[in-house]
This record gives sequence, structure tokens and C-alpha cells, in this order.
Amino acid sequence: MSSNILTQNDIQFVDYKDVDLLRQFMNPHGRIVSRKKTGLTAKQQRGVEAAIKRARFMGLLPYIQK
Amino acid sequence: MQVVSNETSSEEKEIEVSGGADALLDVAPSKNESDDTLQIYEIGYHIAPAVKEEDLEKIVGALRAVIEKEGGSFITEGAPSLTKLAYSISVREGERNVDYDRAYFGWIKFEGRRAIVRALTESLKQNPNYMRFIIWKTVREDTRARMKAPTLREVKRTDTIKSSVRRAPSEESTAPVSEADLEKAIQEITEE
Repeated sequence: MSSNILTQNDIQFVDYKDVDLLRQFMNPHGRIVSRKKTGLTAKQQRGVEAAIKRARFMGLLPYIQK
Repeated sequence: MQVVSNETSSEEKEIEVSGGADALLDVAPSKNESDDTLQIYEIGYHIAPAVKEEDLEKIVGALRAVIEKEGGSFITEGAPSLTKLAYSISVREGERNVDYDRAYFGWIKFEGRRAIVRALTESLKQNPNYMRFIIWKTVREDTRARMKAPTLREVKRTDTIKSSVRRAPSEESTAPVSEADLEKAIQEITEE
């Protein structure tokens, strides 16, 4: 039984505009948290990574946080 | 994913347009996809905050016109709203660079053929009002999460300091007390 946020809330696709959701998968420095810690499936982790990178490019999320 | 700024890349030269706003194109064709295949795309854009709010509709209208001209059909749309950016974005305005820490962010999800992506890229790169944009392949379903993501720190503001209301000095207290009244009041107290 998987207990990650995406499975619990039945989220099939991660949108780059959902900044609050994406922040759950980032550490305080702005880095993407590893799959070991997020507990996501490989497919979910790839989706989250792509969404975070899109959000970073669009200035919705930081590349690094001091 | 491919970042197209001003340099050319070998993979998607057909969509390369030099100069103008920075663009991220995530539209690589899949194996069975031809130029005529209908595909769902989403475009997200930042319009410079120097643009007046009443002109936004006109600028986005031009973007919609490009999609319609190429035979695209709209699915959903997010109107541009002033958004605070996570980092400042530098934009070339005339002969100088200007840093913006906020921008009008909007998006459009639409269905169309591959030619739309090229037309949009050319159109947006030529328009100096656009700071940055992204075009990527998506799905028809609504991808926005319906859940409210828990915030890291839920702070209950119980310790808010309320400004105390200062009472204006009443006229009664400031009125000069006559000698007779004062003596009368003292006598009343001493009698007790």
C-alpha cells in the first residue's frame, strides 16, 4: 500500500502551476527530494521532476533557495 | 525537455526562432505522430508588468488569433494575473536590461496540429511584451490538483497585537474647575 501524497489524493497528472503541491517534493534549499524520501513510484517521480523543472523555468519556483 | 533561448539545437531546428523571449518547448513528437496528428498542447506565458492591465486582453487576443488561424480549438484558459516570481527575470528593453520580480502569468490549453507550435513560437518571440513562455504536450483532462497541499508551517495567529484605541480626552475633564466647585467637593469629602 503506497502512502504518497499523489496516490492518496488520486492525482494522475502533476501540473507545473500547482506550486504548493510541488513544494512538498522540494527541500528547503529548493532541491528536488529523492524518490527514497518522497515514496513516489518511478512514473510519479518523473512527472513531479518535469513539473518542477517547468515551474522553475517559468519563475514559479526557485532554482535555489538561500 | 528543451530550452530554446538564442542558441540553436540539433533536435528541433524546425521550431528554432532566434531572439526574443526565452522559450521552453517540450513538444518532441512521439513515434506514431505525424504533422497532421491532433495533439493537446498547453502554453504558459509571462507578460511584462510594464504592460497596462487594460492592454492585456488585446495582447492575449492576438495569441488566441494565432491558434485559431492554424485551426486549433481551445480547451481551457487561465487569464493573465500579476504573479510574484521566485527569482527576477531580466528582459532586454531597447538598449538596456530590466529585471522584473513579477509578471502577468496566463496559460491556454488547446488542441491542434504541430504547425501551431511553430506559429506560436514565432509570434511570441517577435512580441516584446512576452518575457518568457513554455509550450508542452499535455492531456485533455484537467491536470490541476483538487487537493489543497498542506503548507509547511500552519501558524495560528493568536498573538496578534491589536492596536489599542486611544480615547480622545473628553471635554469634561479638560474644562477648568472653578474655585467654588472645588471647595464644595472638598467639604463634601471632609464631612464624611
